[in-house]
Amino acid sequence: MPSSVPEGLLEFIVDRINVGILAVDRAYRIILWNEFMASYSERPAREVLGRDLFEAFPELPRKWMERKITGAVVLKNFSFASWKQRPYLFRFNHNRPITGGIDHMRQDITFMPVMDGQGEVTHVCIYIYDVTDTAVYQTMLQDALRRLAESNNRDGLTGVYNRRYLEESLEYEFTRARRYGHPLSVLLLDLDHFKRINDTHGHLAGDEVLRQAAQRITSAVRNVDVVGRYGGEEFLVLLPETDSEGAQVVAERIRSLIAAQPVVYGDTAIDISTSVGLATLDERMAAYTDLVERADGALYRAKDGGRNQVVVQVAGE
Amino acid sequence: MSISFRTVSHLNEDQRDALAEIVNIGMGQAGAALAQVLGEFVILSVPRIRLVDSQAVPETLAELVGAETTVSAIRQPFHNHLHGEAIVVYDEHGCRDLADIMGHDECTDERVEQELLLDIGNILAGASLKGVGEQLQAEITFSPPSILATHVPVERLLDPEALDWSYSLLIEVNFTLEARRFKGHLLIMLSEDSIDTLVRDIDAFLESL
Repeated sequence: MPSSVPEGLLEFIVDRINVGILAVDRAYRIILWNEFMASYSERPAREVLGRDLFEAFPELPRKWMERKITGAVVLKNFSFASWKQRPYLFRFNHNRPITGGIDHMRQDITFMPVMDGQGEVTHVCIYIYDVTDTAVYQTMLQDALRRLAESNNRDGLTGVYNRRYLEESLEYEFTRARRYGHPLSVLLLDLDHFKRINDTHGHLAGDEVLRQAAQRITSAVRNVDVVGRYGGEEFLVLLPETDSEGAQVVAERIRSLIAAQPVVYGDTAIDISTSVGLATLDERMAAYTDLVERADGALYRAKDGGRNQVVVQVAGE
Repeated sequence: MSISFRTVSHLNEDQRDALAEIVNIGMGQAGAALAQVLGEFVILSVPRIRLVDSQAVPETLAELVGAETTVSAIRQPFHNHLHGEAIVVYDEHGCRDLADIMGHDECTDERVEQELLLDIGNILAGASLKGVGEQLQAEITFSPPSILATHVPVERLLDPEALDWSYSLLIEVNFTLEARRFKGHLLIMLSEDSIDTLVRDIDAFLESL
């Protein structure tokens, strides 16, 4: 040690630094316990020094720590642990008692071998870094990114999925259904006389109709089904693991639910209905666009046949 | 063009051989240390040493690891006498074997998997570089490792656009565990500044022989 460092200074620093520092000998006896450790654990140094680490703190993950310590001893090298994989080693309170956002202090850990003059490891020093703030900010960032990704997938007006997400899902479900030979159906819906609603009651009323229709469609399907806005007044419902027969039941449920009651906008009650085209995957389809095209053909016939009805695509068409 | 590039292009035959030998001995020590910690015999390949242009990093990685291989990787900075980063690349089969070695029953939990990748990476990079450091009588210090990427094509591991260096000295060693499918690659990449330091070290090493 350089003679220029005043006596007691290093001890003072070790004690006051805002990092937990402890050291154990090869028999896991605690031989150093700084003030950080004492204050957060509420166990003063005089109480723990000389004691077996795992006996003094039975809640520690012994097997894991022994492995880390052995690694440091045998390889004479640092070993590390991060809060990302293991949130904390010592269960300490954090210093966000007011702003909170987390349960316990998040910790990054370093295990450092301490060697004597002959290069033999006599002790292992353990540093406990408080990384609670980093963890809180990272969690906030991840939440924000998740929300952003989610809103990127949503149609702003109706809250159901947007066209881009629908196409991704169609691609994914189509490939999966083809590979595993599972059924897959698609409903393409077009609200009847939507242009007339807009012209008669105004665009804001039209928007409300779209929102209500989206809600009614969503309430008629399962969680695994994907509902999205495909175009202006067109919706698409993707029904995984559903054959034509099952899809007809869903389609009819949606059709009747939409026509069941008018959409109320201000003082006006607007009657609505929808035409539905249904298509089910068959082995001649090469891409999901074939499936959508088939549903579109069925939808056209539903419109042609007088609207407010479900038309099922017939094989071989 | 940077000075370090000129230096390395002038790395003569003797220096090159000496470096390969130093790394080889370092790896031998690493293998022994690993066997002790893991309880498994680790087979380390003969190191390959090359100068790599940052723009050519994706191709270089693909060539070393195998094109279009899906990999996970960790990175660990080292500093002090030599400065750079060690990157440990694992193939997809590795995890189950690693879990088994480290005494876990399963490898289903993502956190457990990542901790294993970090632990093994730290052991490998630490043991290997320590071995090299001892040959050169140079102290090398490590910062904590972190996850670089999980389950990505090897070509996408490092984005040349994001790299702010031109040249790096790359030392590659691949490692397998006896009687297991597990395969990994250790890539030690020295910063441009450290290449000069290393060349001086090699000269000192040669003189001491």
